[in-house]
Amino acid sequence: MDQSPPVVTVRFNKFLPYWAVFRTDLRQTVRGWVYRLWVLMAAAAAGGFLVYRVGLHREAGLVQSAAAQCGDLLRLLVVGSMALVVVLAVSAVGGERGTLADSVLSRGISRHQYFLAKLHARLAAVVLTFGGLGVMVLAASYFLFKADADTDLSVAGGLAAVVGVCAVLAAVVSWGVTVGALTNGTVLGITVFWLVLYGAGFLLTLVPESYPSPDRELARLKFVLAGQYNPGVLADIVLGSLGLSGLAAAVGLVGFARRDV
Amino acid sequence: MADDATELIVETQHLTKIYGNRQIALNDVSLTIEPGCVLGLLGPNGAGKTTFLRLVLGLHRVTAGWAKAFGRTMTPNSADLRRRIGYIPTNPQFPRGMTPITYLDYIARLFGLPADVRKPRLATLIRAVDLLPHSGDPIAHFTPGMTARLAVAASLINEPDLLIWDEPTHGLDVEARRSMLELIKTLAAEKTLILSSHNLTDVDEVCNHAAVLNKGQLIFHGTLQDLKGRIKKNHYEIDLDGEQKGITKAVAALRAVADVRQVVLRQRRLDVKLGDDTPNTALLAQLFQVLNDHKVTVISVRTVGMQTEQAYLELVEKEESRGFARLYRDAEAA
Repeated sequence: MDQSPPVVTVRFNKFLPYWAVFRTDLRQTVRGWVYRLWVLMAAAAAGGFLVYRVGLHREAGLVQSAAAQCGDLLRLLVVGSMALVVVLAVSAVGGERGTLADSVLSRGISRHQYFLAKLHARLAAVVLTFGGLGVMVLAASYFLFKADADTDLSVAGGLAAVVGVCAVLAAVVSWGVTVGALTNGTVLGITVFWLVLYGAGFLLTLVPESYPSPDRELARLKFVLAGQYNPGVLADIVLGSLGLSGLAAAVGLVGFARRDV
Repeated sequence: MADDATELIVETQHLTKIYGNRQIALNDVSLTIEPGCVLGLLGPNGAGKTTFLRLVLGLHRVTAGWAKAFGRTMTPNSADLRRRIGYIPTNPQFPRGMTPITYLDYIARLFGLPADVRKPRLATLIRAVDLLPHSGDPIAHFTPGMTARLAVAASLINEPDLLIWDEPTHGLDVEARRSMLELIKTLAAEKTLILSSHNLTDVDEVCNHAAVLNKGQLIFHGTLQDLKGRIKKNHYEIDLDGEQKGITKAVAALRAVADVRQVVLRQRRLDVKLGDDTPNTALLAQLFQVLNDHKVTVISVRTVGMQTEQAYLELVEKEESRGFARLYRDAEAA
């Protein structure tokens, strides 16, 4: 009697496509030249700044509070990083344009899964890297300016500053990934997003002092680092950034699912 | 294979795609593809073949109408439907920095295949497409032939019910093309295939159905036999063996047969054109009888020109010449 071969039923893992894109993107991001340039520049700038301030502090005897120096450094890192963070975010989907449909989206993955995996991978890369850099800068400042740090730098304030900055960066990355997914070219997306970001930042400096602006919030970092911050305001910044990130994700999910690739 | 033998693999109704209100890529295409069908998708450049395939895959959104795969409407988020489809694009492009192993593993993950299934399967496929010695090499350095073989492996990793291959023999050398056609023939025994191709010889060899698109419109959909049946070529070449005297006499006798329009002898090759009034089987029987009477042996018989190509060109030409009458396509077809 003929025996038919046994039917093997494959149990598909519905989350595997998400993880595949997330892991691959994270790996490719950290191996990419944009990410490496960003980390290298940020580390070099932070190291140079700290060495210079230590020189001023110890050799020239110019004493400045550790919180103020650390605040300056964090502000420098944020402003300097923004250009490359925008490139990292916008190129998440746009950079794959040539192979996206043929290699990825024609397989068993939904647009929603793909977009979310890309968004989360870039968020993880940027936020964790900046968080790590921020913590290292704070730790270095604490040890280098220990005499002042005893009275000036606060651990809670340091964490609050890093959390606040990371929350704002998360919103920037989310909108960057969305812009990249909805525009036809990476260069166009980066240009548009830079204009919007820096233009909005400039316009916000013109509004009355009672309204928050990136410039003013960054200038207040030294007080936050010294522990002089309002947890309510920090919560507002984090929640506001989360809201903006969520909105960006929603716009990206809907918009990307409606695009021809 | 498909769950239900009667389930249509692909069905489109009034499928229309207009890009940005600027270009009509596909216009009111309605067709069905049944299980086991090997459909050759034909048409000149810009006819809408790739657009049709991308709509069926859910890579593009339809402007009007709908496309169904396995009985369900295909959308950009229909991951579960695409899990049953294997796709090869025209010029396969792969993510940079990957090797065949990492790429196939990535593709298998995109299909949601667990490790215990995908690892053995990708190893088998790499071996099957003869990429074992290059399995750790960067894909970026691959030749077109190796790229095509990797694309085949990627399209089979999920063991799909439907294969959509967009010009799979494009850019391949003779040997690679032959291997590809043999593979298609093997796969056709158990899968449904849509094969877009400019090469009508390939379609003629491996397909059993054809759909012809011209300027976004479907101008023919049916079996390859139906397409060929649209023309009656009745032009044959017969290579002969035997005494030259006998051959000459046979040729003279053939010229006297009614409804044999042309008999030309070039050395030992006979060029025969038959008329359309008498069934060609009767005329050919008569022809062989005459050859036999003169003790002439037949070495080979072949039809002149390619029927599929002829039929295709005739269809496209006819469609072009109809002008505004194209509006009444359905009425005329009926």
